[in-house]
Amino acid sequence: MTGPKKRGCLGCSFPVLIIVGVIVIALVVLGFITGAIGQNMLSGLDLPEWLIASSPQPHLPAPELFHVFGFPITNTMLAGWITVIVLVVFSFVVTRRMQIVPRRLQMLFESALGWIYDVCNSIAGEVNGRRFFPVVCTIFLFVLFNAWLSLIPGFGSIELVKNEPIPEDAQIMPSKEDPAHLVALVDDREYEIATVDGQDTIVVEEELIRGSNTDVNTPLAIALVSFVFVIFYGLKNARMDFVRQYVNFGPLFRSIGRIFKGKFDFMGIFEGAIQVFVGGLEFLSLLIRNVSFTFRLFGNMTAGEILLLIAAFLLPFVMPFPFYILELLIGLVQALIFSLLTLVFVTMAVTPAHGAESH
Amino acid sequence: MDAEAIKMLAAGLAMGLGALGPGIGIGILGYGAMQGLARNPEARGPIQTNMILAIALAEAIGIYALIVAIILAMVA
Repeated sequence: MTGPKKRGCLGCSFPVLIIVGVIVIALVVLGFITGAIGQNMLSGLDLPEWLIASSPQPHLPAPELFHVFGFPITNTMLAGWITVIVLVVFSFVVTRRMQIVPRRLQMLFESALGWIYDVCNSIAGEVNGRRFFPVVCTIFLFVLFNAWLSLIPGFGSIELVKNEPIPEDAQIMPSKEDPAHLVALVDDREYEIATVDGQDTIVVEEELIRGSNTDVNTPLAIALVSFVFVIFYGLKNARMDFVRQYVNFGPLFRSIGRIFKGKFDFMGIFEGAIQVFVGGLEFLSLLIRNVSFTFRLFGNMTAGEILLLIAAFLLPFVMPFPFYILELLIGLVQALIFSLLTLVFVTMAVTPAHGAESH
Repeated sequence: MDAEAIKMLAAGLAMGLGALGPGIGIGILGYGAMQGLARNPEARGPIQTNMILAIALAEAIGIYALIVAIILAMVA
Protein backbone atom coordinates (compact mmCIF):
# COMPACT_ATOMS: atom_id res chain seq x y z
CA MET A 1 0.00 0.00 0.00
CA THR A 2 2.78 2.44 0.86
CA GLY A 3 5.65 3.18 -1.49
CA PRO A 4 9.19 2.64 -0.26
CA LYS A 5 9.99 6.36 -0.22
CA LYS A 6 6.98 7.38 1.83
CA ARG A 7 7.46 7.66 5.54
CA GLY A 8 4.67 6.19 7.56
CA CYS A 9 1.41 4.67 6.53
CA LEU A 10 -2.07 6.14 5.98
CA GLY A 11 -0.69 9.63 6.38
CA CYS A 12 0.60 9.15 9.95
CA SER A 13 4.08 8.37 11.12
CA PHE A 14 4.57 4.87 12.48
CA PRO A 15 4.56 5.67 16.21
CA VAL A 16 1.26 7.54 15.88
CA LEU A 17 -0.15 4.70 13.81
CA ILE A 18 0.91 2.12 16.38
CA ILE A 19 -0.63 4.13 19.22
CA VAL A 20 -3.88 4.56 17.30
CA GLY A 21 -3.89 0.86 16.45
CA VAL A 22 -3.33 -0.15 20.05
CA ILE A 23 -6.16 2.13 21.20
CA VAL A 24 -8.52 0.73 18.56
CA ILE A 25 -7.64 -2.88 19.43
CA ALA A 26 -8.02 -2.13 23.14
CA LEU A 27 -11.46 -0.63 22.49
CA VAL A 28 -12.48 -3.66 20.42
CA VAL A 29 -11.35 -6.07 23.15
CA LEU A 30 -12.92 -3.99 25.90
CA GLY A 31 -16.14 -3.67 23.91
CA PHE A 32 -16.21 -7.39 23.34
CA ILE A 33 -15.72 -8.44 26.94
CA THR A 34 -18.05 -5.81 28.40
CA GLY A 35 -20.83 -6.15 25.83
CA ALA A 36 -23.66 -8.64 25.81
CA ILE A 37 -22.11 -10.89 23.14
CA GLY A 38 -18.85 -11.34 25.02
CA GLN A 39 -20.63 -11.66 28.37
CA ASN A 40 -22.64 -14.56 27.03
CA MET A 41 -19.70 -16.27 25.34
CA LEU A 42 -17.19 -15.85 28.17
CA SER A 43 -19.47 -16.52 31.09
CA GLY A 44 -16.65 -17.22 33.53
CA LEU A 45 -15.33 -13.67 33.33
CA ASP A 46 -15.72 -11.59 36.47
CA LEU A 47 -15.80 -7.88 35.76
CA PRO A 48 -16.70 -4.97 38.01
CA GLU A 49 -20.37 -4.03 37.66
CA TRP A 50 -19.84 -0.53 36.28
CA LEU A 51 -17.92 -1.92 33.32
CA ILE A 52 -20.68 -4.21 32.07
CA ALA A 53 -23.05 -2.67 29.54
CA SER A 54 -26.49 -2.55 31.13
CA SER A 55 -29.40 -3.79 29.09
CA PRO A 56 -31.20 -1.00 27.21
CA GLN A 57 -34.67 0.06 28.32
CA PRO A 58 -36.19 2.00 25.46
CA HIS A 59 -39.58 3.50 26.16
CA LEU A 60 -41.76 5.24 23.63
CA PRO A 61 -43.80 7.79 25.59
CA ALA A 62 -41.80 10.79 26.72
CA PRO A 63 -41.76 11.07 30.53
CA GLU A 64 -42.84 14.28 32.20
CA LEU A 65 -39.97 15.94 33.99
CA PHE A 66 -41.62 18.86 35.77
CA HIS A 67 -44.51 21.26 35.48
CA VAL A 68 -44.41 24.92 34.49
CA PHE A 69 -47.65 26.81 35.24
CA GLY A 70 -49.49 23.51 35.21
CA PHE A 71 -48.14 22.45 31.83
CA PRO A 72 -46.16 19.22 31.88
CA ILE A 73 -42.69 19.60 30.39
CA THR A 74 -41.30 16.43 28.83
CA ASN A 75 -37.70 15.68 27.97
CA THR A 76 -38.40 15.78 24.24
CA MET A 77 -39.77 19.31 24.60
CA LEU A 78 -36.52 20.36 26.24
CA ALA A 79 -34.61 18.94 23.28
CA GLY A 80 -36.88 20.81 20.89
CA TRP A 81 -36.21 24.09 22.69
CA ILE A 82 -32.49 23.40 22.65
CA THR A 83 -32.71 22.88 18.90
CA VAL A 84 -34.54 26.17 18.48
CA ILE A 85 -32.02 28.00 20.67
CA VAL A 86 -29.09 26.50 18.77
CA LEU A 87 -30.64 27.53 15.46
CA VAL A 88 -31.37 31.06 16.65
CA VAL A 89 -27.86 31.51 18.07
CA PHE A 90 -26.32 30.13 14.88
CA SER A 91 -28.34 32.48 12.69
CA PHE A 92 -27.51 35.41 14.96
CA VAL A 93 -23.79 34.67 14.87
CA VAL A 94 -23.82 34.17 11.13
CA THR A 95 -25.83 37.26 10.23
CA ARG A 96 -24.23 39.59 12.77
CA ARG A 97 -21.31 40.52 10.59
CA MET A 98 -22.36 39.80 7.04
CA GLN A 99 -19.70 40.34 4.43
CA ILE A 100 -19.85 40.45 0.70
CA VAL A 101 -16.97 38.02 0.57
CA PRO A 102 -18.22 35.45 3.08
CA ARG A 103 -16.06 33.95 5.81
CA ARG A 104 -16.14 30.28 6.71
CA LEU A 105 -19.34 30.06 8.80
CA GLN A 106 -21.27 32.43 6.57
CA MET A 107 -20.06 30.48 3.55
CA LEU A 108 -21.36 27.22 5.05
CA PHE A 109 -24.79 28.62 5.79
CA GLU A 110 -25.06 30.49 2.54
CA SER A 111 -24.25 27.44 0.48
CA ALA A 112 -26.62 25.23 2.48
CA LEU A 113 -29.52 27.68 2.30
CA GLY A 114 -28.71 28.47 -1.31
CA TRP A 115 -28.96 24.81 -2.16
CA ILE A 116 -32.41 24.49 -0.56
CA TYR A 117 -33.45 27.71 -2.31
CA ASP A 118 -32.39 26.27 -5.66
CA VAL A 119 -34.33 23.08 -4.96
CA CYS A 120 -37.41 25.19 -4.09
CA ASN A 121 -37.08 27.15 -7.29
CA SER A 122 -36.60 24.08 -9.44
CA ILE A 123 -39.66 22.32 -8.00
CA ALA A 124 -42.11 25.17 -7.41
CA GLY A 125 -40.93 27.67 -10.02
CA GLU A 126 -39.38 31.14 -9.61
CA VAL A 127 -42.29 32.99 -7.98
CA ASN A 128 -43.72 30.25 -5.81
CA GLY A 129 -40.34 28.88 -4.83
CA ARG A 130 -39.44 32.20 -3.27
CA ARG A 131 -42.71 32.25 -1.34
CA PHE A 132 -42.53 28.68 -0.07
CA PHE A 133 -38.85 28.81 0.85
CA PRO A 134 -39.19 30.09 4.46
CA VAL A 135 -41.50 27.35 5.72
CA VAL A 136 -39.77 24.57 3.79
CA CYS A 137 -36.35 25.68 4.97
CA THR A 138 -37.52 26.03 8.58
CA ILE A 139 -38.87 22.48 8.56
CA PHE A 140 -35.63 21.26 7.01
CA LEU A 141 -33.38 23.00 9.53
CA PHE A 142 -35.48 22.00 12.54
CA VAL A 143 -35.67 18.33 11.64
CA LEU A 144 -32.00 18.21 10.62
CA PHE A 145 -30.64 19.89 13.73
CA ASN A 146 -32.99 17.88 15.89
CA ALA A 147 -31.65 14.64 14.47
CA TRP A 148 -28.00 15.69 14.58
CA LEU A 149 -28.11 17.25 18.04
CA SER A 150 -29.55 14.06 19.50
CA LEU A 151 -26.38 12.23 18.47
CA ILE A 152 -24.32 14.40 20.81
CA PRO A 153 -23.29 12.63 24.02
CA GLY A 154 -25.54 13.88 26.81
CA PHE A 155 -28.75 13.45 24.86
CA GLY A 156 -30.35 10.41 26.44
CA SER A 157 -27.46 9.73 28.78
CA ILE A 158 -27.83 12.47 31.41
CA GLU A 159 -30.51 11.40 33.81
CA LEU A 160 -32.75 13.33 36.13
CA VAL A 161 -33.33 11.57 39.43
CA LYS A 162 -36.45 12.46 41.37
CA ASN A 163 -38.51 10.97 44.14
CA GLU A 164 -42.16 10.26 43.60
CA PRO A 165 -44.79 8.82 45.92
CA ILE A 166 -45.42 5.13 45.34
CA PRO A 167 -48.40 4.70 43.01
CA GLU A 168 -51.38 2.64 44.11
CA ASP A 169 -50.89 -0.17 41.62
CA ALA A 170 -47.22 -0.70 42.43
CA GLN A 171 -46.16 -4.13 43.60
CA ILE A 172 -43.47 -4.29 46.24
CA MET A 173 -41.47 -7.42 45.55
CA PRO A 174 -37.93 -8.78 45.69
CA SER A 175 -35.70 -7.72 42.82
CA LYS A 176 -34.96 -10.23 40.06
CA GLU A 177 -31.21 -9.91 40.34
CA ASP A 178 -30.93 -9.66 44.09
CA PRO A 179 -33.76 -11.42 45.98
CA ALA A 180 -32.78 -9.84 49.29
CA HIS A 181 -33.54 -6.39 47.92
CA LEU A 182 -37.05 -4.95 47.70
CA VAL A 183 -38.11 -2.93 44.66
CA ALA A 184 -41.39 -1.46 43.45
CA LEU A 185 -42.73 -2.86 40.20
CA VAL A 186 -44.74 -0.35 38.15
CA ASP A 187 -45.68 -1.21 34.55
CA ASP A 188 -43.00 -3.90 34.36
CA ARG A 189 -40.25 -1.50 35.39
CA GLU A 190 -38.40 -1.84 38.65
CA TYR A 191 -37.85 1.22 40.80
CA GLU A 192 -35.66 1.57 43.86
CA ILE A 193 -37.41 2.50 47.07
CA ALA A 194 -36.02 5.33 49.15
CA THR A 195 -37.26 7.03 52.28
CA VAL A 196 -37.54 10.82 52.05
CA ASP A 197 -38.89 12.86 55.00
CA GLY A 198 -40.22 9.71 56.63
CA GLN A 199 -42.20 8.74 53.55
CA ASP A 200 -41.51 5.84 51.21
CA THR A 201 -40.93 7.02 47.65
CA ILE A 202 -39.77 5.42 44.43
CA VAL A 203 -36.64 6.74 42.78
CA VAL A 204 -37.47 7.62 39.17
CA GLU A 205 -34.58 8.11 36.76
CA GLU A 206 -35.57 9.85 33.55
CA GLU A 207 -33.45 11.01 30.65
CA LEU A 208 -33.09 14.77 30.90
CA ILE A 209 -33.12 15.44 27.16
CA ARG A 210 -34.07 13.12 24.35
CA GLY A 211 -34.26 13.75 20.60
CA SER A 212 -37.43 15.72 20.05
CA ASN A 213 -38.70 13.64 17.16
CA THR A 214 -38.60 10.41 19.14
CA ASP A 215 -41.83 11.59 20.72
CA VAL A 216 -44.75 11.16 18.35
CA ASN A 217 -46.16 14.60 19.23
CA THR A 218 -43.39 16.67 17.65
CA PRO A 219 -43.56 15.03 14.19
CA LEU A 220 -47.35 15.35 14.40
CA ALA A 221 -47.01 19.06 15.13
CA ILE A 222 -44.66 19.59 12.18
CA ALA A 223 -46.96 17.53 9.96
CA LEU A 224 -49.92 19.71 10.98
CA VAL A 225 -47.91 22.85 10.22
CA SER A 226 -47.19 21.50 6.77
CA PHE A 227 -50.88 20.50 6.34
CA VAL A 228 -52.11 23.99 7.24
CA PHE A 229 -49.45 25.48 4.97
CA VAL A 230 -50.62 23.37 2.02
CA ILE A 231 -54.31 24.18 2.61
CA PHE A 232 -53.64 27.89 3.08
CA TYR A 233 -51.72 28.29 -0.17
CA GLY A 234 -54.11 25.99 -2.00
CA LEU A 235 -57.09 28.13 -0.98
CA LYS A 236 -55.25 31.37 -1.58
CA ASN A 237 -53.92 30.61 -5.05
CA ALA A 238 -56.24 28.09 -6.66
CA ARG A 239 -59.39 29.05 -4.69
CA MET A 240 -62.34 27.05 -6.04
CA ASP A 241 -60.12 24.79 -8.11
CA PHE A 242 -58.50 23.60 -4.90
CA VAL A 243 -61.84 22.87 -3.28
CA ARG A 244 -63.09 21.21 -6.45
CA GLN A 245 -60.27 18.72 -6.23
CA TYR A 246 -61.84 17.28 -3.11
CA VAL A 247 -65.55 18.12 -3.29
CA ASN A 248 -66.72 17.74 -6.85
CA PHE A 249 -70.52 17.56 -7.11
CA GLY A 250 -70.77 19.80 -10.18
CA PRO A 251 -70.84 17.23 -13.02
CA LEU A 252 -73.20 14.93 -11.10
CA PHE A 253 -75.74 17.67 -10.38
CA ARG A 254 -75.51 18.97 -13.93
CA SER A 255 -76.29 15.52 -15.32
CA ILE A 256 -79.17 15.07 -12.89
CA GLY A 257 -80.45 18.49 -13.83
CA ARG A 258 -80.49 17.45 -17.46
CA ILE A 259 -83.03 14.72 -16.63
CA PHE A 260 -85.61 17.42 -15.96
CA LYS A 261 -84.93 18.90 -19.37
CA GLY A 262 -85.90 15.54 -20.81
CA LYS A 263 -82.41 14.28 -21.58
CA PHE A 264 -81.53 11.12 -19.69
CA ASP A 265 -77.73 10.96 -19.75
CA PHE A 266 -76.78 7.80 -17.90
CA MET A 267 -73.03 8.05 -18.62
CA GLY A 268 -73.01 11.63 -17.39
CA ILE A 269 -74.54 10.65 -14.06
CA PHE A 270 -72.17 7.72 -13.76
CA GLU A 271 -69.12 9.87 -14.45
CA GLY A 272 -70.35 12.52 -12.06
CA ALA A 273 -70.72 9.93 -9.31
CA ILE A 274 -67.19 8.71 -10.01
CA GLN A 275 -65.92 12.30 -9.80
CA VAL A 276 -67.53 12.65 -6.37
CA PHE A 277 -65.95 9.38 -5.29
CA VAL A 278 -62.51 10.38 -6.59
CA GLY A 279 -62.80 13.70 -4.77
CA GLY A 280 -63.53 11.80 -1.56
CA LEU A 281 -60.49 9.61 -2.11
CA GLU A 282 -58.32 12.66 -2.71
CA PHE A 283 -59.59 14.22 0.50
CA LEU A 284 -58.86 11.01 2.38
CA SER A 285 -55.32 10.93 0.99
CA LEU A 286 -54.89 14.56 2.05
CA LEU A 287 -55.70 13.54 5.63
CA ILE A 288 -53.72 10.31 5.59
CA ARG A 289 -50.67 12.23 4.40
CA ASN A 290 -50.42 13.66 7.94
CA VAL A 291 -50.31 10.20 9.49
CA SER A 292 -47.69 9.11 6.99
CA PHE A 293 -45.60 12.24 7.59
CA THR A 294 -45.79 11.74 11.35
CA PHE A 295 -44.93 8.09 11.51
CA ARG A 296 -42.19 8.26 8.89
CA LEU A 297 -40.23 10.82 10.88
CA PHE A 298 -41.12 9.39 14.30
CA GLY A 299 -40.30 5.85 13.21
CA ASN A 300 -36.97 6.74 11.66
CA MET A 301 -35.81 8.76 14.66
CA THR A 302 -37.02 6.21 17.23
CA ALA A 303 -35.59 3.31 15.28
CA GLY A 304 -32.25 5.12 15.05
CA GLU A 305 -32.19 5.74 18.78
CA ILE A 306 -33.05 2.14 19.65
CA LEU A 307 -30.56 0.88 17.07
CA LEU A 308 -27.78 2.89 18.73
CA LEU A 309 -28.86 1.69 22.19
CA ILE A 310 -28.82 -1.95 21.15
CA ALA A 311 -25.54 -1.60 19.26
CA ALA A 312 -23.97 -0.05 22.34
CA PHE A 313 -25.36 -2.90 24.41
CA LEU A 314 -24.13 -5.73 22.17
CA LEU A 315 -20.64 -4.45 21.43
CA PRO A 316 -19.84 -1.17 23.17
CA PHE A 317 -17.41 1.38 21.65
CA VAL A 318 -17.09 -0.45 18.34
CA MET A 319 -20.47 -1.36 16.96
CA PRO A 320 -22.22 2.02 17.50
CA PHE A 321 -19.61 3.80 15.41
CA PRO A 322 -20.84 2.84 11.91
CA PHE A 323 -24.41 3.33 13.08
CA TYR A 324 -23.59 6.88 14.19
CA ILE A 325 -22.48 7.65 10.65
CA LEU A 326 -25.65 6.00 9.35
CA GLU A 327 -27.70 8.17 11.72
CA LEU A 328 -26.04 11.33 10.38
CA LEU A 329 -27.13 10.31 6.89
CA ILE A 330 -30.63 9.31 8.02
CA GLY A 331 -31.12 12.66 9.78
CA LEU A 332 -30.21 14.50 6.60
CA VAL A 333 -32.39 12.31 4.39
CA GLN A 334 -35.41 12.54 6.70
CA ALA A 335 -35.12 16.32 6.92
CA LEU A 336 -34.86 16.47 3.15
CA ILE A 337 -37.86 14.19 2.67
CA PHE A 338 -40.08 16.07 5.11
CA SER A 339 -39.33 19.44 3.56
CA LEU A 340 -39.35 18.28 -0.06
CA LEU A 341 -42.65 16.42 0.32
CA THR A 342 -44.18 19.54 1.87
CA LEU A 343 -42.86 21.51 -1.08
CA VAL A 344 -44.20 19.02 -3.62
CA PHE A 345 -47.65 18.90 -1.97
CA VAL A 346 -47.96 22.67 -1.75
CA THR A 347 -46.86 22.97 -5.37
CA MET A 348 -49.52 20.43 -6.32
CA ALA A 349 -52.09 22.42 -4.34
CA VAL A 350 -51.39 25.74 -6.07
CA THR A 351 -51.39 24.19 -9.54
CA PRO A 352 -54.41 21.87 -9.46
CA ALA A 353 -54.42 19.00 -11.87
CA HIS A 354 -56.89 19.25 -14.75
CA GLY A 355 -58.89 16.06 -14.74
CA ALA A 356 -58.64 13.22 -12.29
CA GLU A 357 -56.53 11.01 -14.53
CA SER A 358 -53.45 13.22 -14.49
CA HIS A 359 -51.73 11.58 -11.58
CA MET B 1 -48.26 -21.24 23.71
CA ASP B 2 -48.62 -18.54 26.30
CA ALA B 3 -49.43 -14.92 25.57
CA GLU B 4 -45.83 -13.73 25.88
CA ALA B 5 -44.60 -16.23 23.28
CA ILE B 6 -47.31 -15.22 20.83
CA LYS B 7 -46.45 -11.56 21.38
CA MET B 8 -42.81 -12.18 20.55
CA LEU B 9 -43.77 -14.29 17.54
CA ALA B 10 -46.09 -11.53 16.35
CA ALA B 11 -43.32 -8.94 16.71
CA GLY B 12 -40.90 -11.07 14.71
CA LEU B 13 -43.47 -11.79 12.01
CA ALA B 14 -44.49 -8.14 11.78
CA MET B 15 -40.89 -7.08 11.25
CA GLY B 16 -40.01 -9.91 8.89
CA LEU B 17 -43.04 -9.67 6.64
CA GLY B 18 -43.09 -5.91 6.87
CA ALA B 19 -39.50 -5.66 5.67
CA LEU B 20 -40.25 -7.84 2.65
CA GLY B 21 -42.09 -5.26 0.57
CA PRO B 22 -39.76 -2.31 1.20
CA GLY B 23 -36.80 -4.60 0.49
CA ILE B 24 -38.18 -5.49 -2.92
CA GLY B 25 -39.05 -1.85 -3.53
CA ILE B 26 -35.58 -0.61 -2.66
CA GLY B 27 -34.11 -3.33 -4.90
CA ILE B 28 -36.22 -2.18 -7.83
CA LEU B 29 -35.27 1.44 -7.16
CA GLY B 30 -31.57 0.63 -7.06
CA TYR B 31 -31.93 -1.39 -10.26
CA GLY B 32 -33.59 1.52 -12.02
CA ALA B 33 -31.03 4.01 -10.77
CA MET B 34 -28.13 1.80 -11.84
CA GLN B 35 -29.59 1.38 -15.31
CA GLY B 36 -30.13 5.10 -15.57
CA LEU B 37 -26.56 5.72 -14.47
CA ALA B 38 -25.15 3.21 -16.93
CA ARG B 39 -27.06 4.78 -19.79
CA ASN B 40 -26.39 8.36 -18.81
CA PRO B 41 -23.46 8.80 -16.41
CA GLU B 42 -23.68 12.61 -16.61
CA ALA B 43 -27.05 12.58 -14.85
CA ARG B 44 -25.44 11.19 -11.73
CA GLY B 45 -26.40 14.03 -9.36
CA PRO B 46 -30.16 14.17 -9.97
CA ILE B 47 -30.44 10.39 -10.23
CA GLN B 48 -28.67 9.94 -6.91
CA THR B 49 -30.78 12.55 -5.11
CA ASN B 50 -34.03 11.20 -6.45
CA MET B 51 -32.99 7.62 -5.73
CA ILE B 52 -32.22 8.44 -2.11
CA LEU B 53 -35.54 10.26 -1.76
CA ALA B 54 -37.51 7.38 -3.25
CA ILE B 55 -35.59 4.83 -1.19
CA ALA B 56 -36.38 6.75 1.97
CA LEU B 57 -40.06 6.76 1.01
CA ALA B 58 -39.99 2.99 0.49
CA GLU B 59 -38.04 2.51 3.69
CA ALA B 60 -40.69 4.39 5.65
CA ILE B 61 -43.07 1.47 5.11
CA GLY B 62 -40.55 -0.85 6.70
CA ILE B 63 -40.28 1.63 9.55
CA TYR B 64 -44.04 1.38 10.15
CA ALA B 65 -43.60 -2.37 10.60
CA LEU B 66 -40.69 -1.68 12.93
CA ILE B 67 -42.86 0.60 15.09
CA VAL B 68 -45.48 -2.12 15.37
CA ALA B 69 -42.82 -4.67 16.24
CA ILE B 70 -41.25 -2.40 18.87
CA ILE B 71 -44.63 -1.66 20.42
CA LEU B 72 -45.49 -5.36 20.48
CA ALA B 73 -42.17 -6.45 21.92
CA MET B 74 -41.44 -3.70 24.40
CA VAL B 75 -44.49 -1.66 25.29
CA ALA B 76 -47.66 -3.69 24.84
